[in-house]
Amino acid sequence: MRPILTLALGAALAATLWAQQFKFNLDHLVSKASDSFDVSLNTSMLQFAGKFLDGKDPDEARVKKLIVGIQGIYIQSFEFKKDGAYAPADLEKVRNQLKAPDWSRIVGIKSGGESENIEVWVRNEKGKVTGVAILASEPRQLTVANLVGNVDLESLSDLGGHFGLPNLPKVPKKK
Amino acid sequence: MDWLEQELAKALARKEPAAGFDGRVRARMHRRPRWLAIAATILVMMGAGEAWRQHRGQLAKEQVMTAMRIAGSKLNRVQLHLKGTEQ
Amino acid sequence: MVFSVAWHFLHDRDLAEETAQDVFLSLHTHLAGIETPAHAGFWLRKVAVQRSIDAARKRRRRPQVALEDVAELSVRPVSGDPMLGGMLRRLIATLPEMARMAMILRYQEDLDPAEIAETMGIPLGTVKSHIQRSLALLREKLERRGVGER
Repeated sequence: MRPILTLALGAALAATLWAQQFKFNLDHLVSKASDSFDVSLNTSMLQFAGKFLDGKDPDEARVKKLIVGIQGIYIQSFEFKKDGAYAPADLEKVRNQLKAPDWSRIVGIKSGGESENIEVWVRNEKGKVTGVAILASEPRQLTVANLVGNVDLESLSDLGGHFGLPNLPKVPKKK
Repeated sequence: MDWLEQELAKALARKEPAAGFDGRVRARMHRRPRWLAIAATILVMMGAGEAWRQHRGQLAKEQVMTAMRIAGSKLNRVQLHLKGTEQ
Repeated sequence: MVFSVAWHFLHDRDLAEETAQDVFLSLHTHLAGIETPAHAGFWLRKVAVQRSIDAARKRRRRPQVALEDVAELSVRPVSGDPMLGGMLRRLIATLPEMARMAMILRYQEDLDPAEIAETMGIPLGTVKSHIQRSLALLREKLERRGVGER
């Protein structure tokens, strides 16, 4: 029984590790949005999708390589017709979860007269990146993303020139 | 089932939405770029073997590509902003 | 099925349609993860339940008619009477949310308690308790109003 129990517990733990790392709680915005994108792709779905990515297409090839280290992609993105469709508290509830010790904000920008706000957070466990969170807000747009797993920021940097991404600043390694 | 349970089953019989419901759902679907049409739903109901697997795969691939574009575009905005402030 | 779950739960046609639309749009988003038609049916039911309960909580009010306020009818409905159906629907609408949904899944969808527990994500014992208590409450209210089997 013990080996079976260990295997079952291991599988359950693995499933937990690669699950979405923080709650979005944004479903109430779906009915208010003029357009929305909602995707939850766990490990098995990413592996399945990977089989259909065309290695001959440059964009698909890069994505195919990138998702090797990613165990889950969870994104909710909304567009609204009017300002004020979502409350600052909606984003604050997400941000509060990222104030846990294993998360750290690596960059945050405000632009367009502070109307656009983007924050990038990473989750570190034993010196390895195990998750990335992106919070992006404009008066009529809101995006929350969680990329789970050993997200290779070097690879994200390599996407420079594709999807319009130039190289990212290197994340300084903690001593 | 006793009489009350039978009456409950009658009282809670399925209700249909108002005419045009399918059209209203389709209208909301088509507002989104890249989303496939009702043919996808029909495929679900038909459960057509390999064709369905291929369709699911294409959908999954599309979702991954769109997800990476969304995440990438936000990071791109960060990079452009950082480059602008460095100058 | 989706609209019907939402309608019987929310007792608001417009809100039920909006909720049902959201469920089908969600299905479209998650289509790649649906493996069989049976899986689609299970998924739709589960999400319909979740979204209906969310919609009710956002609304933050119980349906207008409290059990105690159900008007006495000059002609008491009896078993088989369509007026009884309307009374039962109003009574169901005043049940607490989780009990209400359990009753809808039991008598609209003809699910057994184990299936209801899986759909709602609550323990089997809780489902059975909801159904038993709800039936007892309905019987009591109906008997008080002289409504019963012919």
